[in-house]
Amino acid sequence: MNSHTLTRLRYTYLPDHLIGEILSKRWIDNAIPVLTLALIIAVFGSVIGNFFTLGSIGNISQQVAELGLLTLALTIVMLSGGIDLSIGSIFGLAVLATLICMNALGLSVGVALLAALATGMLCGLINGLLIGYLRLRAFLTTLVMLIILRSVYEIVFLNFATRIVSGMPQSKLWDYLAFGKIYGIPAALFITLAIALVLHVILSRARHGWHITAVGGARRSAYNAGINVRRTICAAYVWSGGLAALAGFIYAARLGSAGADTGAGLEITALTAAVLGGISLGGGRGSVAKALIGTISVAALSSGLVRLGVPGPMNSLILGTVLILAVFVDVRWMKNKQKILNTVYMSPAYVVMPKAAETAVGSGSPYAVNDKLREVDAIGLGILEGPEDCVLDRDDNLYCGTRHGDVMKFHGPDHKTWELFAHVGGHPLGIQMDRDNNIVTCVGGMGLYMITPQREVVKLTDETNRSAFSIIDDSQLKIADDLDITDDGRVYFSEATIRYNIANWPMDALESRGNGRIVCYDMNTKKTHTELKNLVFPNGVCIAQDQQSFYFAESWGCRLSRYWFDGPKKGTLQVVIDNLPGYPDNINRSSDGHYWFTLMGMRTPSLDLALRMPGFRRRMARQIAVDEWLFPNINNGCVLKFNEKGEILDALWDLGGQNHPMITSIREHKGNLYLGGISNNRIGRYKIPGADPNWCALDARWGKS
Amino acid sequence: MSSGFFSRWADSFFRRGEFSVTVPVMDGPLRPNRLLEEAQVAFRLDAVDNLTAAGGTVLCSSGPRLLSWTPGSAEAGELARCDSVISALASEPGGAVAIGLDAGGVIIRGGRHDGHMVGEGRLTCPTAIVFLDADTIVVANGSARCRPSEWKRDLMSIGSSGSVWRVDLPSGEATRLADGLAFPYGVAPSPGGRVLVSCAWRHRIVSIDTTGREAMKSVLDDLPGYPSRIVAAQDGGYWLSVFAVRTQLVEFVLREHRYREQMMAEIPVDYWVGPDLTSGQSFLEPLQGGGIKQMGILKPWAPARSYGLVVRLDAGFNPVASFHSRADGHVHGITSVCEIGERVIAGAKGPGLAVEVPLQAGELA
Repeated sequence: MNSHTLTRLRYTYLPDHLIGEILSKRWIDNAIPVLTLALIIAVFGSVIGNFFTLGSIGNISQQVAELGLLTLALTIVMLSGGIDLSIGSIFGLAVLATLICMNALGLSVGVALLAALATGMLCGLINGLLIGYLRLRAFLTTLVMLIILRSVYEIVFLNFATRIVSGMPQSKLWDYLAFGKIYGIPAALFITLAIALVLHVILSRARHGWHITAVGGARRSAYNAGINVRRTICAAYVWSGGLAALAGFIYAARLGSAGADTGAGLEITALTAAVLGGISLGGGRGSVAKALIGTISVAALSSGLVRLGVPGPMNSLILGTVLILAVFVDVRWMKNKQKILNTVYMSPAYVVMPKAAETAVGSGSPYAVNDKLREVDAIGLGILEGPEDCVLDRDDNLYCGTRHGDVMKFHGPDHKTWELFAHVGGHPLGIQMDRDNNIVTCVGGMGLYMITPQREVVKLTDETNRSAFSIIDDSQLKIADDLDITDDGRVYFSEATIRYNIANWPMDALESRGNGRIVCYDMNTKKTHTELKNLVFPNGVCIAQDQQSFYFAESWGCRLSRYWFDGPKKGTLQVVIDNLPGYPDNINRSSDGHYWFTLMGMRTPSLDLALRMPGFRRRMARQIAVDEWLFPNINNGCVLKFNEKGEILDALWDLGGQNHPMITSIREHKGNLYLGGISNNRIGRYKIPGADPNWCALDARWGKS
Repeated sequence: MSSGFFSRWADSFFRRGEFSVTVPVMDGPLRPNRLLEEAQVAFRLDAVDNLTAAGGTVLCSSGPRLLSWTPGSAEAGELARCDSVISALASEPGGAVAIGLDAGGVIIRGGRHDGHMVGEGRLTCPTAIVFLDADTIVVANGSARCRPSEWKRDLMSIGSSGSVWRVDLPSGEATRLADGLAFPYGVAPSPGGRVLVSCAWRHRIVSIDTTGREAMKSVLDDLPGYPSRIVAAQDGGYWLSVFAVRTQLVEFVLREHRYREQMMAEIPVDYWVGPDLTSGQSFLEPLQGGGIKQMGILKPWAPARSYGLVVRLDAGFNPVASFHSRADGHVHGITSVCEIGERVIAGAKGPGLAVEVPLQAGELA
């Protein structure tokens, strides 16, 4: 087995492009917290014999109920970009308020709950006003609040201590809160989980939750987007105070009394849980699920340590160390995730290109270089930028897209005057005209659009069905490229790649993997589905004369293929030409019943060699700047004509590429050939010797109107 | 020394320091301009090489032909024709001309030693010659493995088998002054009995003692291109021609052994990744990202497969001025330069033309 075989096997069967795709998912942020939790459970499960017994789990779940609410309180504040150190003190005050109501004053459970919540939310409101509206530093403000509220607690507690201890509330609901079980789950934990569910919906689905996350993620952007930043921040602290108070209420129900140190130090435990769960200290990143994972981790850790007989101070020391570690990982992860993603996302494939057809002058090859395109008129010189494709209507008016997101109209027959026909907003690439004179165009980054003769821009589709096993979401159309329309109104269009957006096409070229597809949109049913997958940068599409198949070009694959979508050969895929000396682009019909297509660029021996060395390309992408990469040579191209047998009938070159450095499309109309180029500043018009001067592509395609 | 070894190993592992693919930035006196591009064409001559001032005229070569050009005339006139392509030239006031041949060896024409052939078998790759006096020449031998015309293969094999020789013409005896050099491509006398030698693949200029007593020392390092011929300027200092500039891609490919070997084995030399004397001749040449024409324009900052650069050094070997023809230009592949009258004549071997630039052009105020 030689090294080439090894390379081929390694790059064929190790799907390393999936690593990058997994890393690009949002849920990957959960990976480290989940692993940490699994590690904690595995370690204690193996060290402590009865770690998984019911009693042990009951103990942990009771803790989880209270700590979970505190962590959720902190989560909301951290999501909004702040921090709340006063939750421990608020928790204490809420315990006190509850016990005063229940034990000392003998009020009902409902009143006690309201009193606790009111206490907590009031404290939270003070925090929120100071931090949100007066713009004080969150850390310092809540630290001061921690001290102030703790003092208030101690003063009040001294006055009520005896009455709290002596009081014995008579309430079944009160006892139920402490000891009741619903389906074997402690009532307290049930309440926490219910609240967590509500919070999850609010944070991930509701406007208010999105505002909180947005403010934490980028305060200025949130402000610019019209979010009331001050009110949102203030609300986050009110939430925090309320949740901390609720935790205190449950705690009071469970223990029925309070001590001088109730709630002290809880903020650090909750902070550990939040950070361990992966809630970013920088704000804007976090979820309820993460908060719960962190809570369970900390509860399992501290309960395990207690059962191992680790003394209290040591226990705190270990929790503190865990906090520092979690913060370290959080910071490094945030800093390096994008960097790692950038280095691993691009994953070159192993490609052996067939030997390219000869192009040398005098070689006798049908591709041989000539300078037939030297005498080409320019249309729209200095007006157009990036007309990838063009189409002509029955009155000889020419329509083409520009990189500014416009469709321009040049008035026939001389195309000297022009007007802005419609503004689409994205770069129109392939462009066609349907039976009713609507312009149908593939817009890079946007999808398939239609422009009616009344200049109305209509979105036809921007998504297709999602593949069953794709990791990245491939339902969105990233680079819709070229299209053609069948007689019964089905639009077949190519999407060059699903892994990159239009600006990053060089990365797809370097990968040369089958990332593209051909998608079908049915104008009658308005449904979209993917017809062909795993194509190497599919580009031009042209319905064949038989109306049952289409030709399509795969640019980086340097081949033309034909696919039957109807008729007896339905579903057949056949390669027509596979040794092109360059990268094929758009295909269109010619007046003599054959097909024109273009090579937008030429293969170079140095890049063909690199295609056999994925590791070389990967290192190149990592080590040198994009401007320095080996690229497909798209500074030179040509126009070719082929027939159904796959024979090359004609070749038109512009030697030196002075007029047309690159040609991405061709359109024959009344004896002329119109040339588009995605990086050109003009459309070329070439008089085809001997072509039918009355042949109109629209008439030939849709019949005379 | 051990820590040096370790840090070198670490650098090579992390591809940093001398193992990184970065190239020096052209700034300060090397800041790009269009002086070469806009300069007046002195004469056109295919593959013009090794311009050498000889009295009031300029000697140069084109393939196997030796020619002479007089300032003001439109073209150069043929003086002689050799059996092999001429790869190096030198002249001395007595009228003798030393001619290095691509096939190997140096032949003397005119003067006392007319017709002498020296260094056959040893000087297999004469790339530059200079007369120390009427009886002594110093010859740069680019490589022990390749001919001067095979320079690309020497670069892509990471060649460092070049040497510098002192040849005593009356006896024909050759003494090696230095070896293990990475393609010495220029040689010029320097005060104190030393010669300056430009080492193309190591992007530096070294000073070598012609008596062989003192060690070689580097006088100018980290050039952003591949230096070729170097000549003394009349008011002190030197003119250095740089025949191509370094690019990240070439530096990268030089570190990719498997790719380089396959490339040398399979691909015609004109289409290799690497520097060249001219570019844009064929669409089979490699294209780099920045070289894509946008709206019909090739950007001047595009990574340059070929480039035109002449650097003026002061007597302390510091660059003080430079003339450029950038990626979008065509006066590329300057392999030689000479000073005559108030002008500098630069020979662009790639497109086959010589341009003249006023002496003071490009100097920073």
